[in-house]
Amino acid sequence: MSDAAVAEPVATYDADSHDDHGAHRTSLGLSNMKLAMWLFLASECLLFGALISTYLLSKANFMAEVLAGNPKVLSTMPAELIEEFREAGSVEPMWDIPFTSASSFILLMSSLTMVLAHKAVSEDDDLQTKVWLAATALLGSTFIAGQVYEFTAFFREGLTYDGNLFGSSFFTLTGFHGVHVSGGILMLMSLLFVAFRGKLKSDRAETVELVGLYWHFVDIVWVLIFTIVYLIP
Amino acid sequence: MADNTVTTEAAHEAHHDDGSHDEHAHHPTERQYWIVFVILAVFTAVEVAWSYLGLEGPALVVPLLAMMVVKFLLVAGAFMHLYFDLKIVNGRVFSWAFGFSLLLAVLVYLTVFAAFDTLPF
Repeated sequence: MSDAAVAEPVATYDADSHDDHGAHRTSLGLSNMKLAMWLFLASECLLFGALISTYLLSKANFMAEVLAGNPKVLSTMPAELIEEFREAGSVEPMWDIPFTSASSFILLMSSLTMVLAHKAVSEDDDLQTKVWLAATALLGSTFIAGQVYEFTAFFREGLTYDGNLFGSSFFTLTGFHGVHVSGGILMLMSLLFVAFRGKLKSDRAETVELVGLYWHFVDIVWVLIFTIVYLIP
Repeated sequence: MADNTVTTEAAHEAHHDDGSHDEHAHHPTERQYWIVFVILAVFTAVEVAWSYLGLEGPALVVPLLAMMVVKFLLVAGAFMHLYFDLKIVNGRVFSWAFGFSLLLAVLVYLTVFAAFDTLPF
């Protein structure tokens, strides 16, 4: 290579070049792994955007049929519940807002513990890394436990997956979110396992950051679901 | 490989010299993370309280959506470091691309809901 080429700051990928946190140096200034994660999350936005849209359209259609007294739709749920929907003019009586608010708070708190875990691993603080990773996994598990309880309660009240399109779209949306949280918990447990083996150091901080990106995305999706599904009638 | 390393190092140095930021250089402090969390918790509490005020139509929906957007931006900007990662090389281009994509997505969804007459306001 000529001297001119060396002097010129040409951005060239080099697999052996890393920053202090184990990330590849690239011409973008952002590691390829992180860029890939952002692209993956962008595709996830499309998935959840479609699910949320489907839910909103199904709910509007369902309520229109309930208010119009369509017998095919009315037969899909218990008469008492249908009557509550008609009186309220929405599906609001179905939700347990205080319980879901507590779940939302728990998931928000898990985002805080996740960033603290990333900070701890960046500073090679092994104990704090383990504590915050474990706390994040525990808070995520609590959220999932709450969702299982909520689904059971809805099922007992008469909202089923195959009863009508409203139930199908609701369980698909929140169920997909729950599966994403569960996947995140598995990732966190894997990191915790590596941490307990003493191999999660600051040179792998980017791995923790990538799991954190996924985890915060799941949190953001819940921020949307909580407002759009539960709080807006 | 050695030559490539030199050029990459040179690019990295130039990257710092031109005033742009290293991707890990300006992440929030622990105290700032806690402040963001407290703000998020307060917004969540206000959201829930707002839904119990018995308001209807835009008076109910618009503030709830506004608070949702604020929470979205706080988590994405601070916890996901998006605010800091967009200050990378070519960051302005990516900021515009990100902002334009977000705006386009919102407009598409609003159009779909308007087409089905299901806008919440």
